[in-house]
Amino acid sequence: MAKHTGRGIAAIEYPTGMNQNGDPSQAWIKVKPDGRVDVFAGTSDIGNGSKTIQSQIVAETIGVPYDWVTYDNSNTDSSPVCTGTFASRATFVAGKAVEKAAERVRGRILDIAGKELEIDPSDLEIVDGEVLAKGAPQKKIAVPDVAAAATWTYGELITGTGAQLKPFASIVDPETGEVDLPPHSAISYAACAAEVEVDDETGVVRVTRLVQVYDVGLAINPTLVEGQIEGGAVQGLGLGVLENCYPYYPSVDHRGGEFGSYLAPGFEDLPQIDTIIIENPSSDGPYGAKGIGEMANNAQPPAIASAVYDAVGVWVTELPITPEKVLRALDAKRAPERAGKTVVFDAELSVNTVAQGGITFDVPA
Amino acid sequence: MKAVGARLPRYDGIEHVTGRTTYVDDVRVPGMLWVKALRSPVHSAAMSGLDTTKAEAMPGVHAVVTHADVPLLEYGHLSALGIPADEPLLAKDEVRYKGQPIALVAAEDEETALAAVDAITVDFEERTPLLDVRRAFDDDAPTVHQWGNWYTHFEGEMDRRQIRKGSIDDAFEQADVIVQGVYRPAAIEHVPLETQVALVVPEANGRLTIYSCTQALYFSMGVVAAHLQVPLNKLKVVGGTVGGGFGGKVDTATETMCALLAQKSGRPVKWRWTREEEFLCSSTRAPWHMEIADAVTKDGWILGRKMLTLHDSGAYARFSPYGLTKHSFHHTGAYTIPNLSFDGFVVFTNRVPTTAMRGFGVTSVSFATETHMSRIADVLGLDPYEVRLKNANRVGDTSPNRIVYTDPSTVSVVKALAGGMDVELATEYAAMTRDPREGDLLPAHLVGQLGNPEDH
Repeated sequence: MAKHTGRGIAAIEYPTGMNQNGDPSQAWIKVKPDGRVDVFAGTSDIGNGSKTIQSQIVAETIGVPYDWVTYDNSNTDSSPVCTGTFASRATFVAGKAVEKAAERVRGRILDIAGKELEIDPSDLEIVDGEVLAKGAPQKKIAVPDVAAAATWTYGELITGTGAQLKPFASIVDPETGEVDLPPHSAISYAACAAEVEVDDETGVVRVTRLVQVYDVGLAINPTLVEGQIEGGAVQGLGLGVLENCYPYYPSVDHRGGEFGSYLAPGFEDLPQIDTIIIENPSSDGPYGAKGIGEMANNAQPPAIASAVYDAVGVWVTELPITPEKVLRALDAKRAPERAGKTVVFDAELSVNTVAQGGITFDVPA
Repeated sequence: MKAVGARLPRYDGIEHVTGRTTYVDDVRVPGMLWVKALRSPVHSAAMSGLDTTKAEAMPGVHAVVTHADVPLLEYGHLSALGIPADEPLLAKDEVRYKGQPIALVAAEDEETALAAVDAITVDFEERTPLLDVRRAFDDDAPTVHQWGNWYTHFEGEMDRRQIRKGSIDDAFEQADVIVQGVYRPAAIEHVPLETQVALVVPEANGRLTIYSCTQALYFSMGVVAAHLQVPLNKLKVVGGTVGGGFGGKVDTATETMCALLAQKSGRPVKWRWTREEEFLCSSTRAPWHMEIADAVTKDGWILGRKMLTLHDSGAYARFSPYGLTKHSFHHTGAYTIPNLSFDGFVVFTNRVPTTAMRGFGVTSVSFATETHMSRIADVLGLDPYEVRLKNANRVGDTSPNRIVYTDPSTVSVVKALAGGMDVELATEYAAMTRDPREGDLLPAHLVGQLGNPEDH
């Protein structure tokens, strides 16, 4: 009767954007007479921070302060198409659309500033809300003055649109899976180590520490990306040791219909979480960013399962790793079946054991 | 100051933490009606004699809708990806899962709506449900779906998603050890704090304003427009701020039905699911059944992988064929494996349809393949970091779909993790990069399969 500690690791990858692509996002931007910037995009913010990230991209691309930017994703009358906030695409795909729209707005500002300063627009740049002559920054005009000139002198609206779409990789060879076009954009990578403490009397698995490494391409907002990674870690912990809609799957009995009977992670379950961010820029995301929102809950379950084995010598491969499953595995002390050069784990779960011949999984012995 | 790369405050953070964000359920309009649903009490049954007349006659009830009120009853949400329609918006002559919506009532308050739901009569002829995906292919299995017990429309007519690369037979032949295992991650709930909710307001000009918690404004607008058979200018979807989604709010679970009730009653209608409905009737992450047999050398090279995946889709297809395809494209994980034989099935069962959730299609395969990787290292007595580095995706390697990896980071993240855990790697692994393999660490007999990027 003792508590045992163990460690396990996992390394994973995850694509950005919808599988097979073909998922557009669009944006348009207008500039008010005082140079403040209104962004219209159709990207729902589900807590992933896309309002913030897309506003940062617009501010950076035009060259104005972040707090000059207003972001409106509130309705389909004023906002153009965004396929949606899923598939880790809100920063990567929709962020690229606002970047393209902002580049056009920047170009319009430079055109009008060029007229006002009588300097070729290609010799101008925008820094912190001011248009400056490159190499001669004393020659300048504030973006608000450019916007005023557009409105009151030239009778123009400074605006820009942008859209991002990768072609739909529609042809998948039904026999081999070979595709005609890349079926995804940038692939992100991550690795995770879990440290656990397993009580061999109660079967309780406590995750004490998660160390997580994510290649995010470029962290547009490090605070928000850390939030995604830490939030994902907790969701991965739920997958690993707590949550289950069907506690006796495949049976549908004993479903939990309230928080008291469905174990989502709570603060008492939180381990120490250490996050390491790597920036290996993507070639096609905004400023080199990749999307890591979804993969953030993928690496913990296998790392935890491996750590449980390291702690108490049993593999539990039906998630979640509940106390009941740990105790049953400790009682069974099941060893893999060996035949020739084949090492077979989990034979009792296989279709070869459970199905009545309808489906098999055949491997040469 | 630079905006990109800066730790700027969240655009809507103050609203969220001070409770001033307006979510759909915070929107109240004059004359608003409340909605409750009649849902299937059983897992599988033939249905007949649906009668709503008593409910419609009750004081305070303004509209009742059933399948007969829906202009297009079945709409394939991913028809653009070639996945045909299979699910009625409201059950017609059978129910395939407990909780499936059959009829909806809009009334002056939720109590009246509930009483009216109780007054709807319908007869069920219960059937034996199919619940175990492993038994779905057996001769004596109950039939769940009009297409049979598994999806039959991959690339038009394939009954499975299939990957074949190299020669799995040769890999098994060459292997020193074949490691086999079974992996079964569970269904879980999305657990958003904001349950599924919509408010639809019929405007004087004939448009419908749809307040929605959707994760995808235009996607959900397309779903409503298709079921109602109206052009997009008749609808205005208001949203963009979601109280937790995690994939479950791609479902468009409430918007269309509220739109039908708003049209029929001429009044604004709101439907907000109870926590119990959210847990028991909303879609879940799918449970998966995965079997892997890897052909490995005694020094830890993975020569080949054979894999069988059964994706428990629940009663209808929804996004599952998409999820399984994505799963198959990533079944080698962060590694390059030259010989592959993958077969995946979307299997129908009499449980709540499963849907997208964070990591869709890949969370499952990451669990299976990475736990398997740890097992391989353990069986062979090798270091788990080094086995991963050895097989890592390298520039010039190809994916299961024969796409060349141009910027893989497996080596970087595993080395950084070792650093974070104070694990010292052997010199040859510590020096490893993602650059194309030039035979480093690669035994001569594998060079033809793994070692030479020009050959891929």
